This record gives sequence, C-alpha cells and structure tokens, in this order.
Amino acid sequence: MGRKILDLIRAIIFNRWVLAAIVVLLFLMPSLFYAREWCQELDAFTSPLQDSVCTYLIEEKPVTNAVLLNFTQLFILIILASNWNLTGGFTGYIDFGHAVFFGLGGFATALLMGSSRWEDWPALFSDWSFWPAMLGAGIVAAIFALLIGSFTLRLKGPYFSIAMLGTLVATREIVRASSNISGGGLGLSLPVYLNRPMFYYLSLVMLLFVVNFVRWIRSTEFGSSLVAIREDEVGAEMRGINTTLNKITVFCISAFLTGLVGGMWAYMNTFLDADIAFNQNRTIDMVMMTMLGGLGTVAGPVIGSTILYWLRDVLWANFLLFHQIFEGILLIIIVLFVPEGIMGLLDKDSSGTSLNRIVKGWFKKEPEEHPRTS
Amino acid sequence: MTTEMTSNQKDQSPLLEGRGVSKYFGGLAALHNVDFAIYPGEIMGLIGPNGSGKTTLFDCLSRVQQINTGEIHFKGQEISKKKPFQVAHMGLARTFQVFRVYRKLTVLENMLLSRQWRNESIFRQLRPSHPDTDQRARELLEFLTLDHLTYEQAGNLSGGQQRLLEIGMALMPDPELILLDEAASGVNPVLINTIKDRILHLSNEQGKTFLLIEHNMEFIGDLCSRVFVLNFGEKLAEGTPEDVMTNEDVIEAYFGS
Amino acid sequence: MDFSDLLIQTLINGILIGGLYGVMTLGFSVIWGVMGVINLAHGEFLMLGAYMAWVLNKQQGWEPFLTLLVILPVMFLLGYVIQIVLINRIIEKPHLIALLVTYGLAIVMASTVKLIYTANPRITTTQFSGYWEFDFGGFVLPVTKTLVLIAALLMMFGLYFFLNRTRFGKSIRAAAQNKEAARMVGIEINKVYAATFGICIALTGAAGMLLSPLGSIHPFMGAAWTLKAFAITAMAGLGNIPGALLGGMMLGLVENLLATFVPTVGSSVGIISSFALLVIVLVTRPQGLFGGLKAPQEIR
Ligand SMILES: Nc1ncnc2c1ncn2[C@@H]1O[C@H](COP(=O)(O)OP(=O)(O)OP(=O)(O)O)[C@@H](O)[C@H]1O
Ligand SMILES: [Mg+2]
Repeated sequence: MGRKILDLIRAIIFNRWVLAAIVVLLFLMPSLFYAREWCQELDAFTSPLQDSVCTYLIEEKPVTNAVLLNFTQLFILIILASNWNLTGGFTGYIDFGHAVFFGLGGFATALLMGSSRWEDWPALFSDWSFWPAMLGAGIVAAIFALLIGSFTLRLKGPYFSIAMLGTLVATREIVRASSNISGGGLGLSLPVYLNRPMFYYLSLVMLLFVVNFVRWIRSTEFGSSLVAIREDEVGAEMRGINTTLNKITVFCISAFLTGLVGGMWAYMNTFLDADIAFNQNRTIDMVMMTMLGGLGTVAGPVIGSTILYWLRDVLWANFLLFHQIFEGILLIIIVLFVPEGIMGLLDKDSSGTSLNRIVKGWFKKEPEEHPRTS
Repeated sequence: MTTEMTSNQKDQSPLLEGRGVSKYFGGLAALHNVDFAIYPGEIMGLIGPNGSGKTTLFDCLSRVQQINTGEIHFKGQEISKKKPFQVAHMGLARTFQVFRVYRKLTVLENMLLSRQWRNESIFRQLRPSHPDTDQRARELLEFLTLDHLTYEQAGNLSGGQQRLLEIGMALMPDPELILLDEAASGVNPVLINTIKDRILHLSNEQGKTFLLIEHNMEFIGDLCSRVFVLNFGEKLAEGTPEDVMTNEDVIEAYFGS
Repeated sequence: MDFSDLLIQTLINGILIGGLYGVMTLGFSVIWGVMGVINLAHGEFLMLGAYMAWVLNKQQGWEPFLTLLVILPVMFLLGYVIQIVLINRIIEKPHLIALLVTYGLAIVMASTVKLIYTANPRITTTQFSGYWEFDFGGFVLPVTKTLVLIAALLMMFGLYFFLNRTRFGKSIRAAAQNKEAARMVGIEINKVYAATFGICIALTGAAGMLLSPLGSIHPFMGAAWTLKAFAITAMAGLGNIPGALLGGMMLGLVENLLATFVPTVGSSVGIISSFALLVIVLVTRPQGLFGGLKAPQEIR
C-alpha cells in the first residue's frame, strides 16, 4: 500500500499537466501584487465585485514584497542546488566549496556596476548596467573554475572535496584581505534597485531554464559520460571518454550558472562583503538540499530545496536560536537515513510512473512490467 | 626459438609493437625488457603463471600504467605518452580481469557508454545517443545472451554475465585491436564456443586483431596462431601453441618440475 | 632588527608553533588511518577543548595547563560516545557520507558553543603570559609558546609510545592494517575503534587547550584548523607521528615567513598558506609528501 501511495505521489509530481499548472500559477502570482497596487490607487470601488476583491487584496495582502522575496530566495536555492548537482551529483565530484563561484559572481557584479571603493579601478570595468554585469559575473566565475578546476579536478574523492573547501576559505580570506577592491570589512554597496517582482521573474525564468538545461544535459551523451566518470573514472577514460575535458567543461558550466545567480543575488541584496558572499553555509545548503531530494537526479534538487526551505520557514523560524543546531542534526539524519534522497524512495522498484498507468494498475491484479532506468 | 609467420605477416608492419618494455612496482619487476609484435588480423595468446605480468602488460598497453622504459607502437605511433582515451580512440579496446562495468547503470547504458567516441568535440556529444548505436548495443547484447537483462543494473549481474558484458563493452566501439583478459573464465562452455566463433569470425571476416590472456589452454590452442609466454615479467617463449606447450621452459614454469 | 635577525626570529616562531600544529594533526590523521573516516569536525573538537580550558581558566581560576587533567578524560569520554553513536555507522560507507555526517556534527558543535558562550573571541591567560620571556643573544623565546611546544612534544611521544609499545596500541595498529585479520586474532574491533576515537579526541582537545593562550578562540574557528590538519596530513601521511611534527613545523614556518615578509596578507595567512600547501602537495604527489597517503583510487 505504501508503495502505491509513493507511486501516486510520484505520478502527481511528475505529471506534465500538474507541472505546467504550477508554472503558470507561479507566473501569475505577482499579478495579485500589482492588482493590490492598482486597487490602492482607486478612489472608490465601482462594482460589488471590485469592492470585495479589492477589500480582500488590501486587507489580507496575499502577495506582498515579503512573499515575493521568499519565493525568489527559494528559486535561488533550487538553481544553486541544481548547478551543484551537475558536478556533485552527475560527475561525482563532491564540491564543498561551490559557494566560491557564487561569491565571485556577486563581487564581479558589484565591481562591474561601479561599487569599487578604489580610485584606480579601471573605468572600462565600471558603471556597467545590470545585465552585462551579471553576464560578466558568470564569465568571471567560469574562468576561475577553469583555473582552479584544472588543479583540483585532478584530485579524487575526499581530496577534491577538501581542496574545494580550502578554495572557498582561502578565496574568502584573500578577498577580505584585498580591501581596496572588496571593501574589506566595510563591504560594497550596489546601486539600490528594489523591484521585487523583477527579481522574482528573473529567478523564476532562470530556474526554469536551469532545471530544463540540467534535464537536457542528462539526456545527452555528454551527460551519460559524466555519469560514467562518477561510476568509474579510470574505466571511462579507457573506454574513450576524455574525462579531463568533460569534467572541466561541466565544472565551468556549473560555475558559470552559479556566478550568474551570485550576480543577481548581489544586486537584489544591494550589499555584500566577503563573509556573506562566500558563506560556507551556502555550499552546505546546496549539498544538503540535493542529498535530501536525490543526488544525481534532475528533480532531486528541486524537491529537496523546496522541502528544506519550507522546513526552515515553518518549523524552526520559531526557534531562531537553535536553528543552526537543527540544521546540523538534520544533515546527519538525512545522510544516515535517506542517503538516496526522496527521489530514491519514490523510485525504488517503481511499478509505473504515469498517472494513467497507476490508476489503471489499481484495477488490475499483477503490476505491469516496466523497464528500470537510472 | 622459431617464430612462424604466415607469408602475409612477414611483409606487413606490426599493428602493435613493444620494444624493451619494463614496468617496476617498487623493487618488483612486473615486466622486464619485453619485446613483442602483433600483426593485423592475428589472434595471439598471452600466457604465463599467476603474477607473471600479463595484466600489467595490458595495463601498460591501455595506458593505465606508465611504463618505466621502452616504447610501444600502435599503428605506427608511439603511444606510451598518450592518454588512455586517446589510445582508445585509436582503436584499442580491452576487458578487465577485475570487472570494471559501471555497476549502478543498466546493462544497456553500460553498452552505450562504450560506444566509439573517436575525437569528438563536446558539441557532438550534446545529443542523445544515436539510434544506430542503440541498435548495435542491442545486437551485441543479444549475441552475448544478455538481452533479457538489458534494463538490469550491471552490478546485479552474476560474475559470468559481467564478464560477458565486459566483452560486449570492448566490442562496442568497433576497435581494431582487442585485448581480452581472461575473458572466458567463469563463462559456461556453450557460450565459450559461441565466443570463440565470434572471435574467429571477427578476425577472419573483418580483420580484427586479438590478444588474449587465458589460462585455459584449449581455448588458446583452438584460436591462437601464436602464443607469447611471460614468466616473472620476462619473455619465456614465443611460437605456435604446439611449440610452446611442448617447450621445456614453459612446462617447468607452469608445473615447476 | 636587521634582516637576518628578523629571519631567525621568524624561524624560531615557526618552529615553536609547529609543535602545536603537529600534535593537533595527530587526532585527525590517526582517525583517518585507522577508521578511514575523514573527520570534518576535527577543528570543532579542538575548539571544544579550547573552550573547556577557557571556562576553567576564567570562571574557576585554574592555570590553563592544569586544565589538561580535566580535558583529557572528558574529551576521551565524549569521543568514545560519539564514536559508538555516530561514527560507527559510517565507517564502511562511502567517503561522502562520512564527510557530511562529520560536517553536520561540526555545525552542531559550533552553534551550540555559540549559543552558550556567544561568538565573542576569547583567550586564556597563563601565569606565564606576557611578561616572561627567555632571551638569548637578542632572540626572544616566549615562555608560553615554549611550554606549548614542550607539552606538544610530550604528548606526541606519549602517543608514539602507546601505539608502538603497548598491547592496546598494537591492536589499534593491527586494526588499521587489516580489519578482518585483526578480528580473526580476537581483537574486538568496535571497542578498538571507540577507544581510538576517544584517544584522538582527547588529544585534539588537549591541543585546543594548548592553543587557547596563544591566539583568540571563537566558535567558528574550526574549519580553518581542519584545513590545517588536512594539509599537514597530506604532507605527513596517515598516522605518521614524526611526519606530523615535521609537516607541522613546515606549515608553521611557511605561515610565519609569509606573515613577516608579505605584509598585506595579515591574519588570513594561516588559511591561505595551508591551502596552498595542501593543493600543491596533493596535485604533485597524490600519495602524500612522505608517502603513506592512500591513493585516491583506493578510497571510494
Ligand atoms: N598496482 C600494482 N602495484 C604493485 N604491484 C603490482 C601492481 N599490479 C601488479 N603488481 C604486481 O605485478 C606482478 C604481476 O601482476 P599481474 O597482475 O600482471 O599478473 P598476471 O600475470 O595478470 O597474473 P594472473 O594470471 O594471476 O592474473 C604481481 O607480482 C603483482 O603483485
Ligand atoms: Mg592477470
């Protein structure tokens, strides 16, 4: 019976129409925000319908800036986890320092938009508008990934993880120390732009792009070769896969996307310094959310991030003091008890995936034969 | 010692040639000053007692191991400085004595991942696997009697089945030289005969070249035109199976009279 | 001070701190060697030891060096229990699992300490702090640092003696070599593991005490120390005690030289230099500088 419930959950989550509906709703949500603004500007309500709707919108405030911000943060987490999953989940290189690309992206955006406190900062790389600056952030992150990856990606297993953790910590210190560029302890302030719906839509579009991109990568031979590297790197190399090139490529792609998000986040936050840009917890978020959802699956990071974000918001917003302790304990619990993640639970010997097939299956005695794929 | 060569081999240049190949693990000479040559279309056997360095030779050929001295030429090119994947692209495939299948992937995915990559740019890899590749993988699985396991996780296969999968994965890229490391051990006799037929067919019809490590002398005798014997990392003898099996040194090395 | 004096003083400081680095690495490298677990909470155990010393020093008025008498047994017990409850479950698992579980442990420990003692930096004061210095030929040998070095050397020697000369130490080494064989000859592997973890944690806590009078301690200092321990282990190999001392001194020297002669790096020097050493060593010699690190292929 439990099996059937899991199958049903899976079928509902992955039903094309359900997914489409969620996306449409997400796109429509800010319209309530705009509708409220519009209502507030009205002098008098002309019809009873308008009256009731507007009163509801003004009194209940279903979609506020805070709600939009919350969703934006969730989207950012999902994107980060999905990016991390490209190297950590597919390629098997568990990166404990991925936040370094996020931080670099943030700093690149800030500097390119002209927040440098240093007089000698080249004018060419200053006062860019946001979009090229964000692109620049991605490129900076990708170049850094190329440089650092060509050393660290030669390391295997835990050595790689620790070397990347070291990269993060060392980069943070170097950025903090070079205070005429990074602002040191003072940090950098970006041009203030408080348009929450804009950031909401930007992150939503990026989310849709990244998740589909990851799904597409997984479906290609390139994606399969990454999985081969995870499973047996020496074997993959000997069967003709250029493991070094593929590893570095995916690392740079992942860093590029992470840098983009970092750039957007910095602009949204309007301020950053070394500590918040290179926050170690951000990497752990990526790892934890991916693990919870299912390492190396496309949907895993999405599900894991959503659940964990909700847990944070609902469960331990009330225990602010203990929240870090809870997070640590949760990490241990996830790793020890659901190492395969939620996708692993849903997928295990799944007798069918489509909603149709499941509903049909309930009226049949024997379950249908279904090829298992990974 | 006489090395018999058929007339067409004499005037051909070797497909694979090693000169003075040595490999040391610390003080242990796994290979010491070994010379060998394999000609196109030939099926050559590589035998020797346990620990005589046969697998190490394969490792050196497929570039898992770095040789200490000597040179190895494959299709006229020096390969002892190349990367493993480059050698694979040149048309050298091998199986592993200790299985190296991708345990968590399905049998089909294992096969698809062993397809011919041949110097493809990353952009050419950004597409789903080609229907022809899929077709070929399924055909090979059928031949190896693994087709009923197409969607099974490779790690769940029995030892013999994994051995067969290894052979399939080596044949998948359509290589010119195939190194089989104890490919027949643990495989049932009926299937061994099928594999023999397949090897002969590939060799005769398509001119593929094989180098086989085997402890099963019957297998060697049925297939190989020439046999190469290693003992303690050094070449002990070389010749037709009959010659080698009656060679006193070889008998002593195996049975230690 | 002219250049050569400055250089010699820097070298002295590097060697003095190197002893501490060596002894603080041992817990990490022995646990890795024996159990195959990379303990990312290592720095937090160090932090815990340092806080115990600080509490006893500031709230009870103890001399920090005496707090070792409390720290060693308490940390041993803590390690013993944590091994049985948590670490035992992850010993045979892939490395990712061990890394994440110990990282979770690190978060829990750091945030608990922060909750109780806030994030303010602390320092212990020994009776030797500040005004006592050995002075010879113009060079300064701070007493506290010298005592720390001596204590570190004593502890290293103690561990060396224990592992090589006692029966129990020998069974630990047997377990590290071959678990199955050790079990065959009647060694109770789980007890050995738990005791090993306890001993290593006790040693780490003691190292935490040793560093408490030298620099400020705070709840989130752990990661940097774990990184240092990792860098030294990469140089020394697993469970290699003289190697750890040598590696520790090397790191100490590099750090002090950088801090003295590259003015802008400032307080971040430790992290940057250990990171640089780590990556250079691992990339150029994956088996460790002096050998003895497991080849990456073997560890899965
Ligand atoms: N990676 C390695 N490190 C150290 N020594 C090795 C290594 N690989 C092989 N050897 C040693 O090299 C020698 C040759 O081993 P090899 O595996 O080539 O033997 P083999 O001829 O394939 O034996 P078998 O018939 O049992 O498969 C052995 O003594 C072995 O211990
Ligand atoms: Mg062999």
